[in-house]
Amino acid sequence: MLNVEAIRKDFPFLKEGRVYLDSTASSLTPDPVIQRMIEYYHDYRANVGRGIYRASQRATDEFEAARERIARFIGAGRDELILLRNSTEALNLIANGVQFKRGDRVVLTIQEHHSNFVIWQRAKERFGLDLRIVNSDRQGFFNLSDFEAAIDGKTRLVSIAHVSNVLGVRLPVKEVAKLAHEQGSLVAVDGAQSVPHTRVDVGDLGCDFFAFSGHKMCGPTGAGGLFIRGDLQERVAPLCVGGGTIEDVGIDYYRLRRGPYKYEAGTPAIAESIGLGAAADYLSSIGMQNISDHEHALTRRMMDRLPEVPGLNIYGPPNAGDRAGIFSFNVQGMNSHDVALALDSAAGIMVRSGHHCALPLMKELLGVAEGSVRASVYLYNTLSEVDLFVDTLSEIAKTIA
Amino acid sequence: MNSIFEAYSKFPRADCGYCGNPSCITALRRYCSGEMPLDKCLFFRTGAFDPGLIHYPAARDSPSKPGISYINPCPSDAKMVTVEVSLASGMHAKHGYYDMISLDRIFGRFIPSLKVSPSLGIARIEHDGRAIMAFKEGRMLIRRALGEEDAFMQLSRAMRQLWAAVN
Repeated sequence: MLNVEAIRKDFPFLKEGRVYLDSTASSLTPDPVIQRMIEYYHDYRANVGRGIYRASQRATDEFEAARERIARFIGAGRDELILLRNSTEALNLIANGVQFKRGDRVVLTIQEHHSNFVIWQRAKERFGLDLRIVNSDRQGFFNLSDFEAAIDGKTRLVSIAHVSNVLGVRLPVKEVAKLAHEQGSLVAVDGAQSVPHTRVDVGDLGCDFFAFSGHKMCGPTGAGGLFIRGDLQERVAPLCVGGGTIEDVGIDYYRLRRGPYKYEAGTPAIAESIGLGAAADYLSSIGMQNISDHEHALTRRMMDRLPEVPGLNIYGPPNAGDRAGIFSFNVQGMNSHDVALALDSAAGIMVRSGHHCALPLMKELLGVAEGSVRASVYLYNTLSEVDLFVDTLSEIAKTIA
Repeated sequence: MNSIFEAYSKFPRADCGYCGNPSCITALRRYCSGEMPLDKCLFFRTGAFDPGLIHYPAARDSPSKPGISYINPCPSDAKMVTVEVSLASGMHAKHGYYDMISLDRIFGRFIPSLKVSPSLGIARIEHDGRAIMAFKEGRMLIRRALGEEDAFMQLSRAMRQLWAAVN
């Protein structure tokens, strides 16, 4: 069991009158993580991998220890984890690093975030890729045979989200990875919405790439990661080259380093990566199972109570058991931004409104190009916050919709 | 929710007039401003209603300084403009949240498309695709304005309508 009251004390943002229900966009950051970053600035503020003096050595040690912590958190080896800014940068690295040939097929789903959509549209323009989009039903469920039909021998990569950032539905990543590998394709997973909420093991998933953002898992902004399976790194080129990535440089040649360093050009986000390491420790110390159980309890309450709200259209799976703590909906007769503004003004409730960076899904699958409201829960949310949210939403729907 | 609207819902709403007020809304308003003790009301005096349930929410100060809070492109369409302003006083300044009730029940009928929530302290107007919201503490916001000039023109128009209605 998880002690929410004790956890809430760790988050300085959570003051009286603030109800934060937008962790899907970005989570809050707890004091232990902030303190680790302040410690860096106060005690050993130096560059990594450069200086021989003590502060620089310590900075390198702490940075590498953070890499190890974060790698362990997703079941990866330390040399398989590249420290980047966020999932978007990680996915861009894949789209530009895999050596595609004209006519190579890349398979996505309709539920992808723009980060895992636009990069492939651009890659199609650049390399002449054959892009295939697998559709789900309106609730977000896929038919595995649609993946079987889309993934053929010419498929070079399947890139799919682990959890949809709009519908909250979990995608059948393991099954799709198996199908893809049978056809000799690589598998990339956008784990931005899964890593913060459930125990992830990249080995168990069977993926070749796994991208995630630190700012959604109690870490600071500007730190995230990409897992690239060790033996694959030879064949995947870096997004940027420069300082830190090379083994040797001459007038007419350069040789890249091996391991994650070849992908980390320039001075990395040192404080932020150390903060992300602390966030991984923070979440582990609470226990990922406890966090998912808590979120599931909040999800059940939300799905039990939301039907009380008059004129509410809720998207995604109807059963609480089939979804993560993400709830997209519209109130009949009201634009999503107006609902969000009313929630904020009336009860200090913060939710996201608009298209959630998933326009293909909003337009094609849900038919709501104008957007939806999205509330989401995390480890620091309480049942009484869910109740306040539903009560306020009901009042909004009854009075100003 | 601990609002004046909820307090009103706990009033007898019989509009009997025995307390000397023409309606329960007036009685509530006078009770909230300290001008009428509850035992003037026959229903409360006889115990038919429990006045212990009534809590009057304290008026909150305007959270931001008067002036323009921000002028930004609309989140849904960057060609359009969103503006938020804070006024020197909110609708609660004189008479508490009550004024949202009078806006809703009495004056609002002269403003087409007006929706008012006295319980939440929010008024909403839609005008030719633009969405205007007024919040009880004196914040006003327009979305989907055609430009900066349009935004301020529409805001001042709505301000005149709403504040003329309630003050």
